[in-house]
Amino acid sequence: MFNHVLLASHGTTGAKAAENMAISTCTKGGSLTHLFVVPEFWQGMTGDDWLNNGSTRDQFRQYLETELGKEVDEHCARVSRAAKQQELHYNKAITLGEPEKVLIQYSKTQNFDLIIMGSPRPKSVEGLRSKMLTKNLTHCLPIPLLIAPYPR
Amino acid sequence: MVYTQKTPALFIIGLIMLAIWLLTENGLIAPVLDHLAAGKEYRYTDELTTIPLYFGSIATLFGVWHWLGAHKEGSWDFYSSSIAGGMFILLITMLVRWFIAPEIAVIGTSFGKIGDTGKYIHELLGLNYVVLGIVTGIIIVNVFKIPEWAKNGVRLSRLGLKTGVILLGALYSAAELKNLGGLSILMIGFFVLGSVGIVLWIGARRNIPNSMGGVLSAGMGVCGVSATVAVAPVVQAKPVEIAYTIGTILIWGVACMFLFPIIGNLLGMSYVQFGAWAGTGILNSAQVAGAALAYQPDGIETLMVAEIFNITRVLILPVIVLWLAMWYVKREGHTTNVNVGSVVIAKFPVFVLGFILMFALSTTGIFAPANHYQGKYFGNTVEQGFKQENLLQPEQTLLIQSEANKIQRNDYQAVLERLVVNGKIMSIEDDTAVRGLINARTLSPQANDILTAAHQSVRHTAKKIETFRQWITWLFAFGLVGLGMQITVGSMKQAGGQPAVIGGIVGFVKAALSLIVVMLLVSETV
Repeated sequence: MFNHVLLASHGTTGAKAAENMAISTCTKGGSLTHLFVVPEFWQGMTGDDWLNNGSTRDQFRQYLETELGKEVDEHCARVSRAAKQQELHYNKAITLGEPEKVLIQYSKTQNFDLIIMGSPRPKSVEGLRSKMLTKNLTHCLPIPLLIAPYPR
Repeated sequence: MVYTQKTPALFIIGLIMLAIWLLTENGLIAPVLDHLAAGKEYRYTDELTTIPLYFGSIATLFGVWHWLGAHKEGSWDFYSSSIAGGMFILLITMLVRWFIAPEIAVIGTSFGKIGDTGKYIHELLGLNYVVLGIVTGIIIVNVFKIPEWAKNGVRLSRLGLKTGVILLGALYSAAELKNLGGLSILMIGFFVLGSVGIVLWIGARRNIPNSMGGVLSAGMGVCGVSATVAVAPVVQAKPVEIAYTIGTILIWGVACMFLFPIIGNLLGMSYVQFGAWAGTGILNSAQVAGAALAYQPDGIETLMVAEIFNITRVLILPVIVLWLAMWYVKREGHTTNVNVGSVVIAKFPVFVLGFILMFALSTTGIFAPANHYQGKYFGNTVEQGFKQENLLQPEQTLLIQSEANKIQRNDYQAVLERLVVNGKIMSIEDDTAVRGLINARTLSPQANDILTAAHQSVRHTAKKIETFRQWITWLFAFGLVGLGMQITVGSMKQAGGQPAVIGGIVGFVKAALSLIVVMLLVSETV
């Protein structure tokens, strides 16, 4: 069992399995830090739009930000509820960036005992393309990494 | 927040531009230019000796101030910070237009012409400064990332395209605008409404959510990413649906920008036909302009046709947003009312008013005589630019008189008679007849030369319109390189799910059907 677990997620289906594993792996009374990375590809979602007025683009950006915010909040609230049921101290950190780089950086900011994350989505399953688990990640992490199997 | 970054980047950009100007002025890069000209005259010498000097000076001055000056929050800081990004795009555009694209042309020419196409590989693939500029932009954003100091300016590249469209308004004749406008309303009306309807129909059959159907139909039907951005909040699309749709549109758009000019070249399409096809068949509006300039890099006739189609699309956009808003409310069983007025006002493309204003000003003769055609006009008086020394000389009139009996048509003989009596061409109709005689080569080569000189002496180019053409070329090149810098592989990679399947079907059908319609129904000129 581990006292301070870092749960890394960016809202994918695989991350849900990691949530359950993190909660069951963390010692009662221990700390669960939830790092939620919003992938930076969302910043490029206005693409090469040039026909719209600035107000339309602003409205789109605000709408997208709000919708993503709602999804992140729902996700964090679910993990928070489950963590509290297990008497864990729940903290969250929400960051925008490249999932792999953010995780490497964040893992060095506190004394975590273990990092838990979900496994990549199988090719046959639809979903957004944003890898967190990369070769570089496994080389750079300073602490053990546990990968939860993809939910079947 | 202070937007201006204290870096020497802009100063260095300015120095590079000034170095280009200095090296050209002193002839130090003459061997390089000779190599790029491949035995002909290097075509951009005029630009090399002016543009880098003007913009290099501005960039150097602002560069020193950005680097060493004190910056405070405010509107001035926000707008002046964009100069760095703007100059960054401009430098890339200069390098690609003056050096990289000509080098690709030299390499392409060295392979010889491809089969019986009569074209070199770079011409066939449309590898000119426009396409290469967009590709360079895409490479920069995805491989190196846009530097922080340039981000604000890169976002401003849209302004370049909009200004280009506004200036373009000065180049159309009333007849062109009427004919192209009518054609584009027919084509866009049919294909836009058709694609929106088909996407909604397929979506219903495949049981996709209404929000996804709404956003996808706008993106695939109207003007790609711009329509998706406008419609997504109205139909309450989920982030994943937006990502799928925009990814699919961007991949299609970039692929079409390369494929359309190749197909157009292989089919030998006219500028009008290609402009109409690109304006209808390419999903994303930015790539319509890109493909048009890729097809005709040294002229703007194709762009003029394609942009009329783009303008028609963007004018239809508020209508489609309204339609989809009402459709969504009905399908979802909501009771909220759609505010027609606010939707139309919010989505109306203001820059189109600028285009209309420029066209209206152009018809008053403020830029060129009202009867000009793309900046060229007829004028046989001194006030209109005719030079008295161009009047026919006695020996020239004698030669024309002696050969007049070779012509059988009486009306053409009358034209020559008027030319002989007045020493110059007297009307546009006479000028057209003289051009016909020149092309027919009925008279001797000497007489034909006299007629050619007489024709040229009454045909003038409006300097303002010529300047507009130069500016339009640069504004579009600048804007497209900047837009290339906003196409991320990360967003393209999100293409997937139902949008990829439906988008693939609709995108292909639209491109193929519009090609058939254009080849069968659109004449080679307007």
